[in-house]
Amino acid sequence: MSTVALITARGLLGRRRALLLLPLPLLLIGLAAICRANNLSPDQWGQAVIVGLGFAVVLPVVALIVGTGVLGSEVDDGTLVHILTKPLPRRDIILAKFGVAVLVTAITTTLPLFAVGLLAGSAELGIALAVAAVAGSIAYSALFVLLSLLTRRPVLLGLVYILVWEGLLGRFLSGTRVLSIEQYVITIADKLSPTDILPSQVGITTAIVMSAVFAVVCTVIAINRLGSFSLAGETS
Amino acid sequence: MSEAGVIHDIGYQRYEGQRLGRRAGLTALYVHGLRSSFGLGRSAKAKIFPWLVAGIMLLVAVILAAVRSQLGEVIFTYVQYDDQMAWLIIFFVAILAPQLMSRDIRSGTLPLYFSRPVRAADYVLAKFAAMVTAVWLLLGVPQFIMFLGAAFTTKTGARGVWNEFLDLAPGWGYSLLWAVLFSSIGLLIASLTGKQAFAAGGIVAVFLVTTPVVGVLSIIGSTTANSLAGLASPMTLIAGIGAWLSDGPVEMELPIGRFGPVYAIEAVCLIAACLLLLLARYRKVASL
Repeated sequence: MSTVALITARGLLGRRRALLLLPLPLLLIGLAAICRANNLSPDQWGQAVIVGLGFAVVLPVVALIVGTGVLGSEVDDGTLVHILTKPLPRRDIILAKFGVAVLVTAITTTLPLFAVGLLAGSAELGIALAVAAVAGSIAYSALFVLLSLLTRRPVLLGLVYILVWEGLLGRFLSGTRVLSIEQYVITIADKLSPTDILPSQVGITTAIVMSAVFAVVCTVIAINRLGSFSLAGETS
Repeated sequence: MSEAGVIHDIGYQRYEGQRLGRRAGLTALYVHGLRSSFGLGRSAKAKIFPWLVAGIMLLVAVILAAVRSQLGEVIFTYVQYDDQMAWLIIFFVAILAPQLMSRDIRSGTLPLYFSRPVRAADYVLAKFAAMVTAVWLLLGVPQFIMFLGAAFTTKTGARGVWNEFLDLAPGWGYSLLWAVLFSSIGLLIASLTGKQAFAAGGIVAVFLVTTPVVGVLSIIGSTTANSLAGLASPMTLIAGIGAWLSDGPVEMELPIGRFGPVYAIEAVCLIAACLLLLLARYRKVASL
């Protein structure tokens, strides 16, 4: 199991494209630093930076790149067959890959969000944002790992979720917020450190329970899917 | 023992027909690009995403037209329609640009194209034109449906239809602006990688990340700096140009002040820069 995790981590971070993960978090910290340097009140810029950029863009996009990268790239290359032919339970393969995805996403997002929280208010806000980002990393990673098993175009489907479901419908229809990871993350952060910056729109119990449900259900389905995974290729 | 130096005729035939030149290659690339934008001539799976977006856009337009004709209420004008659909346009660009550019890199067809009379500039031009047409159709057709809804229920006869058309024409122009700017940026990003997934993610990241930057820039510094904040994101850039050109009462969150020309200049420079970089990118392509 640890070998699978090691190979996955190396495939994810060992190449030049790992550098693609850097600009988003740096931009997040940079914007917060600029606002702070201009002596603006966090009430003015907090929502744009933390929610608009951090929770709505950086967290899901990083999770999408990483989550579809751990499994999707191996499906694409066809190297997945090498792991599948080893005498390993499929459960261990999924759990190892899921673990790596969560770890990488969490590290890439919690550090900048903690820094932003520190700049926007207090260490307490920073920790709240970091904890919420960890919860979001777990839920998003589970979803995107599952997507890369369900379809050959996981990135596009993931973008549909982020852009259309969370972005477009989440603004107009209040009902979809119950199934939106972004809203859970915002709620968790807000409840841990209540401020005027974060607009929490679902209950805290809903947020925690639904995050856990997302993580567990998606992982179970992913294990199930990998159990009957077909290697037949298709072109389109 | 066979005679040395005999060349056997094994039946190869010369092509005697007419040879089509650059223009035919360009047209073929354009038509192929436009068809594959909407998944025509490809598998059913390739049609899902483009038609999902097109379906939502058409549905919204039909609803808007119905509300307009039944209740006489204008929810979105033609220009506002484009602004409201911005996220879907981004998604459409993220589907389309990798399909047009990255697929050719991935499957190694570029050396085959460039061993024809087609030149790099023709290739870029054909892809760009195909994508602009596709994005414009995505916006223009729903706008036309909205126009039909308004035109058939007008109370003032031909004059009402003509007035409505005068509203539609700038809307079409605005859609063209969206199409040109987003296509040039999207194609440039997609031409950098052969993997469609990375290209799509990169395009969405670029468009989405710039929006909060505008939000931050618009509250710091002086009024001048605030008026120029919209320059940071393609979406507010277009909205700024729209506000400058329409010159009417604009209920934007972002006042552009008297800097309208600056927005227009940046848009032109941005499009030109993207296209030039694309040309530079295709000066040399990797062979198989």
